[in-house]
Amino acid sequence: MSGAVDTPAQQLIEGPVDEPKPSAARRFLSAWLVRRLAKAILTIFLVSTLTFFLVRLLPGNPVDTYIQTQIAQTGISYDDAAAQAKNLFSLDPDEPLILQYLTYMGNLVQGDFGTSLLSPGTTVAQVIQTYLPWTLFSVGIAQILSFVLGIIAGMIMAYRRESWIDHLLTSIGSLLHAIPNYIVAILIVVFLGVKLQVFNLTEARGSYTPGVEPAFSLSFLNDILYHATLPILAYLLTTVGSWALVMKSSTVETLGEDYVTVARARGLTDSRIRTGYVGRNAVLPLFSQLAVSLGFVVGGSIFVEKIFGYQGIGFSLYNAVSGRDYPVLQGIFLVVTISVVVANLLADVLYSRLDPRIRVGGKAKG
Amino acid sequence: MTVPVTSARAVRGGTGKPLLSIRDFKVEYRTGSGTTVQAVRGVDLDLYPGESLALVGESGCGKTTFGLGLLRLLPRLGHASGQVTFNRGDGTEIDVLGLDGRDLRQFRWRDAAMVFQGAMNAFNPVLKIRGHMHDTMRAHTKATKQEIEERAAELLRLVRLEPERVMDSYPHELSGGMRQRVLIAMSLLLEPEVLILDEPTTALDILTQRSVVDVLHEVRERLGFSMIFISHDLSLAAELADRVATMYAGRIIETGGVRDMFYKPRHPYTLGLIKAVPPIVGDLPDLESIPGGPPSLAALPTGCSFHPRCKFATDECQEVDPPLIPITDEPGDAHDVACIHSDQVHLERRTAS
Repeated sequence: MSGAVDTPAQQLIEGPVDEPKPSAARRFLSAWLVRRLAKAILTIFLVSTLTFFLVRLLPGNPVDTYIQTQIAQTGISYDDAAAQAKNLFSLDPDEPLILQYLTYMGNLVQGDFGTSLLSPGTTVAQVIQTYLPWTLFSVGIAQILSFVLGIIAGMIMAYRRESWIDHLLTSIGSLLHAIPNYIVAILIVVFLGVKLQVFNLTEARGSYTPGVEPAFSLSFLNDILYHATLPILAYLLTTVGSWALVMKSSTVETLGEDYVTVARARGLTDSRIRTGYVGRNAVLPLFSQLAVSLGFVVGGSIFVEKIFGYQGIGFSLYNAVSGRDYPVLQGIFLVVTISVVVANLLADVLYSRLDPRIRVGGKAKG
Repeated sequence: MTVPVTSARAVRGGTGKPLLSIRDFKVEYRTGSGTTVQAVRGVDLDLYPGESLALVGESGCGKTTFGLGLLRLLPRLGHASGQVTFNRGDGTEIDVLGLDGRDLRQFRWRDAAMVFQGAMNAFNPVLKIRGHMHDTMRAHTKATKQEIEERAAELLRLVRLEPERVMDSYPHELSGGMRQRVLIAMSLLLEPEVLILDEPTTALDILTQRSVVDVLHEVRERLGFSMIFISHDLSLAAELADRVATMYAGRIIETGGVRDMFYKPRHPYTLGLIKAVPPIVGDLPDLESIPGGPPSLAALPTGCSFHPRCKFATDECQEVDPPLIPITDEPGDAHDVACIHSDQVHLERRTAS
């Protein structure tokens, strides 16, 4: 058998398969980035257009809402309230919508988000600047904690599958996964705040205790953490379950891979296999989900912040919706859109950094 | 590059102290419904230093399970029993099935390494080949980075790969044949005394198979380890093995020196396997296939498990599962067969000269 095929065998001395040259790869990558960026900008444009018209389709308008609130609160006559409103609002409801839109978009391109209708003199940018950091802070901490805890729990479940701990964690995970965060927030208020009195809800309202000077000090950090604890708890409880379940199934799948068996055959330590072989690969598909969920940070916080009186972006969004404060609404929706789009972009870039199979060419992912 | 074709073909069965001594080796799988299935049903086997043993048989006969069981790599529902003794070169005796924890970890790859069937997926996709080499060495030795690099490069060159390029590659950047050779190089990092190769060429095209076989010849020539070569490809077995064992339904049903086995098979199943392969030299005889398929391990026939497919079968075969007994063809050669009609079995095909 050997003599006949000797010659071709010698041609098989080879190096790695030829990859695209670095310059080509780089060119491809930059084209890919440009395409992605163009798509991102288009998305942002479309969403800001849509929100512009959609918020105006909401029943009622800022003037009417204001008038009604004034009547209800102070009992003045409709005419008086209307006069007050006319003084207060710079809005002219009779201006054609298309002109309003063009003005808005023109300003937007120059980075001008407009001015709040409800609190004249405050720009939308100021509103966002004041409230957004608190949301980023509380939801960010919650998401990261939840991701890490979920991954650990998921791996424990996968390694000990069919054991009592797996069954227990799976049940808890599914339960938590199924409850929306505002329900959990209400349950926290009812049980931790009212029934058990573990937490002083009144004291914990707001983003920090009034009078405490915002500064980079330990006591300030302590204070803001105290105020953020309940929202964080609510986010954590409602997201950790799904992370754990997703990680479990991903880990179970990875444990069945040949390279894990081979790693055991190679005599690697269990801890090395767990982190470098199982965990590292099992967590890959979760990273893109993490980035996307970080994008929804801003949008997902409305009810939780409202319930706990935490003054983040969701809180101000709630107020803007009630008062039909169009510019603020548009501004916040824009921020939400941008964060989702940027997070997706980040997810793709991150994913291609983490998975070498996608790194070259970048087309494996649709 | 010339390929040395000299390979020590001496049949060494029965001389000296075996390196690996396997007695009554069984592997059971628990199934979902609470029953157990025996995939390996009592294998007795000795592997001597420097010997190359081919384990041949159809798919599903328990070859791979046997290999995995030897390294204690069975899936969670599998359980191995029996006695597996490994006589390390330094004289220590290891009870393989009794190993656990650190000892088991150290036994794997350093004493006995395995080249897997699915070399495509044998590598961690997010780790470069360099990372695999370092992980493997560091798990067993205190070698420095420099030492690992040199050792890995040396072995990669031995399997005819360019270390400079391969070490920096991710697994998906290598072709199937290259990955298989990298795996062979990696399996030799710690100079194991036994190398188990599970269908090392099956997933490869014929030319790549050729180069992998040449590489195996060459490294074995240089490093002189013992080899258990699991394959369904008889021609590869003929080329790489000193001794051949035929496996059927979880048992070894015939074993002997490579020439004996291929020219004078004495079990109807081995005979059938040989007749099903066209010879390279000489006229093409009528190829014969073995009727039927391998039996389900959950419902084995009574008596000799091959009897429903066997043309020599008599009523007696349905009652007796014959043990593996020595038949002496030539003095000094061990040839064992598990068949009550072995004296009727003769290969009549014209042998290539």
